[in-house]
Amino acid sequence: MGEISKRIAWLAGSSLLAVIVVSLVSCDGNESATESAPSQHIYRHSFDEAPRTLDPVRSATVYTSFIVLNAYDTLYSYKYLARPFELKPNLASAMPEFSDDGLILTIPLKQGVRFIDDASFDGGLGREVTAHDVVYSLKRHFDPASLSQGSWLWKNRIVGLDAWGANGANYAQDVPGLLALDDYTLQITLVKPFPQIMYTLAMGFAAVVPQEAVEKYGSELGVRPVGSGPFRVTSFDSTQVTMERNPDFRSEPVDLAAEGYDADVHAGYNLEKLDGRSPPFVDGIQISFINDDSSRVTSLSKGGELHYARLPAPYYDRYLDMSSPTTLKPTYRERFQMISGIEPAFVYHSFNMLDEDFGYNEDPEQNERNKSLRCAIIKGFNWQERNDRFYAGVAEVFPGVIPPVAQEYDPGLSRESVTYDPEGAKALLAEHDWTAENLPTLTYAVPASVRQTQMFEQFRGFMQKIGYPGNKIELKQYATFGDLAEDWASAKLPLINKGWSLDYPDAENTLQLYYGPNRSPGSNDSNYANDAYDALYEKTSVMMPGPERTALYHQMNQMTIDDCLAMSGLSRKTILLWDKNVIAYPDRNIVGGHWTRFVDFVE
Amino acid sequence: MSLREYCLRRVCFGLLLIAGVTFVSFTLMVYFGPDVAFVLAGRNSTAEELQAIRDQFHLSDPFLVRYGLFLKELVTLDFGNSFVTGVPVMRTLAKTIPISLAVVLPGFVLGNVLGLGFALIAARFRGGWVDRLIMGASVVGMSISLLIVVIVAQIVLSSEYGLNLFPSRGWRMGSLSEYLTYVTVPTIATVFVALGYNTRFYRAVLVEELSRDHVRTARAFGASPLNIMTRHVLKNALIPIITRILFTIPLIVVSGSLVIESYFGIPGVGKITFDAIRSNDQPILKAVVSLTAILFVLMLVAADILYRAVDPRLGDQ
Repeated sequence: MGEISKRIAWLAGSSLLAVIVVSLVSCDGNESATESAPSQHIYRHSFDEAPRTLDPVRSATVYTSFIVLNAYDTLYSYKYLARPFELKPNLASAMPEFSDDGLILTIPLKQGVRFIDDASFDGGLGREVTAHDVVYSLKRHFDPASLSQGSWLWKNRIVGLDAWGANGANYAQDVPGLLALDDYTLQITLVKPFPQIMYTLAMGFAAVVPQEAVEKYGSELGVRPVGSGPFRVTSFDSTQVTMERNPDFRSEPVDLAAEGYDADVHAGYNLEKLDGRSPPFVDGIQISFINDDSSRVTSLSKGGELHYARLPAPYYDRYLDMSSPTTLKPTYRERFQMISGIEPAFVYHSFNMLDEDFGYNEDPEQNERNKSLRCAIIKGFNWQERNDRFYAGVAEVFPGVIPPVAQEYDPGLSRESVTYDPEGAKALLAEHDWTAENLPTLTYAVPASVRQTQMFEQFRGFMQKIGYPGNKIELKQYATFGDLAEDWASAKLPLINKGWSLDYPDAENTLQLYYGPNRSPGSNDSNYANDAYDALYEKTSVMMPGPERTALYHQMNQMTIDDCLAMSGLSRKTILLWDKNVIAYPDRNIVGGHWTRFVDFVE
Repeated sequence: MSLREYCLRRVCFGLLLIAGVTFVSFTLMVYFGPDVAFVLAGRNSTAEELQAIRDQFHLSDPFLVRYGLFLKELVTLDFGNSFVTGVPVMRTLAKTIPISLAVVLPGFVLGNVLGLGFALIAARFRGGWVDRLIMGASVVGMSISLLIVVIVAQIVLSSEYGLNLFPSRGWRMGSLSEYLTYVTVPTIATVFVALGYNTRFYRAVLVEELSRDHVRTARAFGASPLNIMTRHVLKNALIPIITRILFTIPLIVVSGSLVIESYFGIPGVGKITFDAIRSNDQPILKAVVSLTAILFVLMLVAADILYRAVDPRLGDQ
């Protein structure tokens, strides 16, 4: 018996030791090599969420796109500092030449740009990036095997591309609208003018991948990018990605004035030190994916562990002097740089017009009553309270669906649709014979979380104040966002509570949320069907930016307000903090991953 | 019945158990789970595009066909590639399980060894102030959520507001010193919470053993307290202790520790399981559930063998 006990103890002890040894041995020593070298300058960034894949065709989130834009090249990118946002050539050597009818773009490419060295290439040496690679990369979006999440950008836009995918996606076949005229010239022929195409060519979806890597790694390309960007990914898991400088990245000295430098805005960020030097400036980037606010702030405040983080709203009081303009408290001003701005995104609550209790109804009289009900709910929604309770009162509430960051935003638009008016709501309900007895049950669907439940309770409170019985405002919680998205896309819910991030700084990206043909399962999950709206959308979709198009955008925006489609909207304020020793001017959404190549250290 | 026959019987029973677990989990999690096509598709997808995705992953196949495919994956231990990352599932697990083991094992071992030690002391001084102190501390440890313990540990040990001795998050195992640097705070948090549960459980087992006739006889023969506690009490209490320890192992090996890995940014199997649940990455979920079931069965068999080893009477029954 004593012998057995000894053996068990020995077995347990040696197992523990073996596991630790195996774990130490099995870990990839290279993963920490970059971080450990003391002489290297590693910029430590953070995300609030983890990207799941780094394959450009699946770069639908800002997190994936951010890394993709560091590992790969796109034809165009955004100027680092220019606001409003402006595009500039990246892999392209110049802005495109458009044919007179606006249908043919000819894009010249830079020569001598090389993919990183990788086993997928002959001899393991990266080859030159050519126009054929751009063609291949865009074709991938229409290959069903790629499971692209970005094909919607170019769907029915490029001559022959949709048909190429539908007919078997044979890469040996040419697409008439997408041709490499030679190694350094790309020609795109559009079905109709597409003013936003330049923006799409700066997105992560348009990153250029080599065919050899896709064929060698298949679906695993999502964890081992092979691009020609300023950095190469050395490791990627569920908690962080590490990248090292691409030693062969082309020399492109920074012209700060051309990047949009304005001393009035940018002085004090040490950006002047970048002028004339060729990025990338740091030896590597480490991005930690930290979902928990307290962990992120603790890590940032330690000094050295993280250089950058988005400041979560619960920490505003500790870090900020909230008087206008928002500034850091003196203690933190010595340690951090800060910029704050309204996000190119917004949250809104849209009615599902296919729901017969709140949306369209075949009976004209009931249809009118439903509209009055929607309008009353909108009047009863207190955006200021929502802002104060959940966004520290610093978010921006705006009417309609064109958010303040869009260039076509109308600051003069009436704010009636976002003005709390419970008495007006009650009067409207009474006028259309809505009573506590005949009001339909309204389901408020959200992913399961304490914050979302609190938002529901606040919403129910708003509704009770206009006479809506509390037991008729129901909470429906979903275990995952995917479950909820499925019900949105299936038009099963009367109210869609969601947020939308702009893919590019053009209001077309938000107005398409109500375009009829985009109805469920598309992004028009409100299932709004208005011929006049659709006609205007189609008319503006081929117009270049200008006052005439902006006026039409405003008309469409007004239609969404007049039809009481949504409680909309609110754009959050983002406050970004970074170490004072780091030279940066971050932008999370539009410039995205394009700016990290300019990061440097003061010392 | 020989040990071999006995084990064979347990394995057969275990196979039935695995079949049951996989059937129930497949039905609830995969068949009645959310439609992955909506997660995988891009914006403005058409109904046809969604259907194409379902076809590509056999999501529209009849129930029995899908369950059959799942059983084939289970037998071959090839669960395909993750829907989300595209990486083969088994390679992902092979990379993350050692990390989870390295994170959780020190806490697991310390939690059990210390728990047993405190339980022995508490049982020895049963009813006295030492016992009450240990039990009171155990209740405190059990009452505080792991989440709170983790946050407090981070602030006290790893932040500028506390001692700032350790990294607040991250994971490196390039060397033993690096490993110890990164594993210390997670281990302290794990031990803090586990110790209360373990101590109370082990104390209850030991106290029961203390009241048995053979212990009274040993005392009458003048055996020392240490001798009584280790030779006569601990040895005879080994069966429930082994049971508790063995049945915790599958959860440690496959499921890891979700909270610890999430808060400390450790890329272990708990983290990827949590991510898989959120993104409905079915291949990962199927693999984790199946491997947990298999490990439970193996532990069941191992427990039976160990029972016979520590108590020869069981072999005669």
